[in-house]
Amino acid sequence: MLKAKNRLGLIFFPAFDWAISPTHPERQERLLYTQDQLIEEGVFDIPGIKEYKPDLATIEDVERTHFCFPDVRSILTESHLVSAGGAIKAARLVMEKREDRAFALVRPPGHHAMKVVHGSRGFCNINIEAVMIEHIREHYGRKRIAIVDTDCHHGDGTQDLYWHDPDTLFISMHQDGRTLYPGSGFIDEQGGPNAIGKTVNIPLPPETSDEGFLYVLEKVVLPILDDFKPDLIINSAGQDNHYSDPITNMRFSAQGYARLNEILKPDIAVLEGGYSIQGALPYVNLGIALAMAGVDYSYVREPDFERESVRQEPEVTQYIKKLSKEILERYYRAGDFVMRGMPGNYMVRKKSIYYDTDGIRENQVESVMVCDDCAGVLKIETISSVNPLCLGVEVPLGSCDRCRSEGYRILEEAREKGKHSHIQLIDRMGREYLRF
Amino acid sequence: MLLGIDVGGTHTDVVVVDARGVRAAAKVVTNHENLFESVNGGIAAMLREVDAAGIERINLSTTLSTNAIVENTIEKVGMLVSAGPGIEPASFTIGDQYHRIEGALDHRGAEILPLDEKRLEKAIAACRKAGIKAYAAVSKFSTRNPAHENSMREALAGSADFITQGHAISGNLNFPRRIATAYYNSSVWRIYNRFADAVEKALGEYGVRASVNVLKADGGTMPLAVSRLLPVETILSGPSASVMGILALCDIGVDSVVLDIGGTTTDIAVFASGGPLIEPDGIALNGRNTLVRALRTRSIGIGGDSLLRVEGGEVRVGPERLGPAVADGGVLATLVDAFNRLGADAHGNTEASARAMEDLAKKNGMNGEELARRAVERATAFIKSSVDEMIAEINERPVYTIHEMLEGRRIAPERIYVVGGPAEAFRKELARAFSLEVTVPRDYAVANAIGAALARTTMSIELLADTEMGMLMIPELGVSREVPASYTLEEAGEDARRYLIGHLGKTAPGERVQAEVVHAASFNMVRGYHTAGRNIRVRCQVKPGILEKYEKGVRGTC
Ligand SMILES: [Zn+2]
Ligand SMILES: [Zn+2]
Repeated sequence: MLKAKNRLGLIFFPAFDWAISPTHPERQERLLYTQDQLIEEGVFDIPGIKEYKPDLATIEDVERTHFCFPDVRSILTESHLVSAGGAIKAARLVMEKREDRAFALVRPPGHHAMKVVHGSRGFCNINIEAVMIEHIREHYGRKRIAIVDTDCHHGDGTQDLYWHDPDTLFISMHQDGRTLYPGSGFIDEQGGPNAIGKTVNIPLPPETSDEGFLYVLEKVVLPILDDFKPDLIINSAGQDNHYSDPITNMRFSAQGYARLNEILKPDIAVLEGGYSIQGALPYVNLGIALAMAGVDYSYVREPDFERESVRQEPEVTQYIKKLSKEILERYYRAGDFVMRGMPGNYMVRKKSIYYDTDGIRENQVESVMVCDDCAGVLKIETISSVNPLCLGVEVPLGSCDRCRSEGYRILEEAREKGKHSHIQLIDRMGREYLRF
Repeated sequence: MLLGIDVGGTHTDVVVVDARGVRAAAKVVTNHENLFESVNGGIAAMLREVDAAGIERINLSTTLSTNAIVENTIEKVGMLVSAGPGIEPASFTIGDQYHRIEGALDHRGAEILPLDEKRLEKAIAACRKAGIKAYAAVSKFSTRNPAHENSMREALAGSADFITQGHAISGNLNFPRRIATAYYNSSVWRIYNRFADAVEKALGEYGVRASVNVLKADGGTMPLAVSRLLPVETILSGPSASVMGILALCDIGVDSVVLDIGGTTTDIAVFASGGPLIEPDGIALNGRNTLVRALRTRSIGIGGDSLLRVEGGEVRVGPERLGPAVADGGVLATLVDAFNRLGADAHGNTEASARAMEDLAKKNGMNGEELARRAVERATAFIKSSVDEMIAEINERPVYTIHEMLEGRRIAPERIYVVGGPAEAFRKELARAFSLEVTVPRDYAVANAIGAALARTTMSIELLADTEMGMLMIPELGVSREVPASYTLEEAGEDARRYLIGHLGKTAPGERVQAEVVHAASFNMVRGYHTAGRNIRVRCQVKPGILEKYEKGVRGTC
């Protein structure tokens, strides 16, 4: 008889009544065949695997994580609160030791949602992993957390959210940004001045197959995780690296995804993208669930799987070997590659962001205090095609006194000047989430 | 008149009911070696009181299939399984003639790999050599396309006395459950049919010309002729009889909890707005999950004969039962003796109870009353926490739409119904623990037989239409036909209802049935950026209920 070696909680929420639009890839049908497959395989009956209902994320869960303009309700629908709530449920199950691991098979996804949100980009409104992680830190203590994003698209939203956080290691394995949306995620993107090296990008060439993914996992991801020593590992389990995915160009298989999770051993996995809803998702999700539970997945295979047609070309293999070496070097010598600036001074980034799903343009000036004692107070001024100039100020978790009082100084100054249409304060030390 | 027979573990209860109420009732000791004798004895007892010609319907609840499976007195089954990719199918091995045949269908029923005819022939030859005459044929996703199961059936022509095809049992997905359910069905087919033959023969001899129905675990019945093909549907129907009995006796209109407190265990069932809740996937038997629809019940180790102990100053009740209560001539004090000591509801030899309680108390430095009080409190608290857990589980069940997530109805019991030996004794304690009104129906001694007698036919079907493939299927009814691209969810709902009522009109004529659509969903199937068709799913059921004509007669004793 089957039995899970690791107790696994599955939060399955297909949002059968929600779509971005009727024919959009993010539509009601997306997890229909996955559900059919999981039920037909009897996955929910395997002793040690249990299905759970999502929690409902609160507005505070979102406001603790994002700057939302003009406010939270305007940039999301209930579906996003359920989807983030699904991730939160996964985290609670693991943190409270009710399960060894958890997999939130939820939609809509979140990894393209950045720190500031004016609308939906890359099918994402709020970053459900980040909302989950900050929920964990709020309720279970300040954890060191590693996110390994295995979606085919660069997890630019998650990168942006954790760019300055030294407690969060963000590793993204994705198709090279020169060949795919969102066009970012290069090896020289390594984190802000207070979190140098805590962002790791692995831009893989098109037509990378199981061999290549598992190579970088073993040669790059695992050594870096060993070095970072996280309390928790989270897999942003996008499934659009699959060879049958209609919007990408990779050659990853269900077996590959399962093996990756077997090796990575994430505490929590959260579904991200993946739009080959009939040919890939049913098998990839089955493979991931079984691998996380420690159940034999060797017979999981796509109906049209042919080893030959997804074999990796030797040039691709060569390229990946060279790339891996370079990324590792950059990780260990990150300080040599990134300019830091003097503590007590602001480092400023200017960003121009396009929200493809909602067609919004945004321009930001992001300033972070260079600080030896904390993640640094963060100030973002933003203007977009839907909102006049807005301001976000964040006093980070573990903030030093100087950065905290600086945060309140910025806030007071801005309120006096009155040139911002909306101001949001996130004070993680005082647990204050205020809007003006 | 209706005749209800409930064959239980110790007693077989029989009752005759007419429009004015219970006409006759009897209790005979169950003969485990020969269940037909128990049934026959019950019928004979009733026919001494009422006229055979006046009986129009007989409802029978029997433990025959359950016992055969649990005691492993089942027939050997040739199990033919076609799995395709997924979980290694050896994990679901059942019986010693479990044969894997290559072949695969996908989640929409498309053939990925044809069935390996050679391998199939070999498997059948091996079964024949082993003297196998009963078979079960199951393929993964057969409810989406029965082609491979049909090929297996064809290949078995001439070799099998009986074949169960997985898709015919249930339209629900779940391959491992389909395997176990089909296997069990074939394994009890012969013994069950012999029993059915004997029942029909006896009724003929008595001159009874009633329709005969058999109780299922979902609180409903099926005609005897149907049960001959689906004997697995008769498993674990015991709780059904009691639950339907309470539904018959009491006018339950609100969310309620039903407790059936027996000697060793207490069965808990939950009613939502007056109707019993159904187990969503199917009931488990002998450690295997099946697709057999059943009432959602939970059994816990508290009963009148639960043993009392004191351990480290803590009073414990059950789950062991080492014999009857001292009040009933037993040796060790049980919960019944504790109730007797408190004077809750005098039962048997109350003085013997009192002595036993004092003895046990003295040994542990307590007095008898204190011990009794703590034992009863302990038992009640355990029942309470088990009920709370069950309600929480129901309210926490997964949902798949935003609407259900936000608007989903939560069960909040307003009343408790208790039947069984210690029911009256428990009443006050339960009322206090739950802060709810507790009702003990008056005729509860034969509530189970009344429930069996008054239960109606139930059935549930799954309709799946795929307008891209142009196909409609209702696996349970063997319906498979083409549909036009324009086929809609509304038409599917109508069709499901029509097919179900039509089917019951043939198999259970004369019964007025109401078919309700309990789930209906339509998904646009998009290929590229165009809608290629709709994937439509409808579940339609005739839910458990009480035969209306007789409801008034038995009502009001509660
Ligand atoms: Zn993606
Ligand atoms: Zn600081």
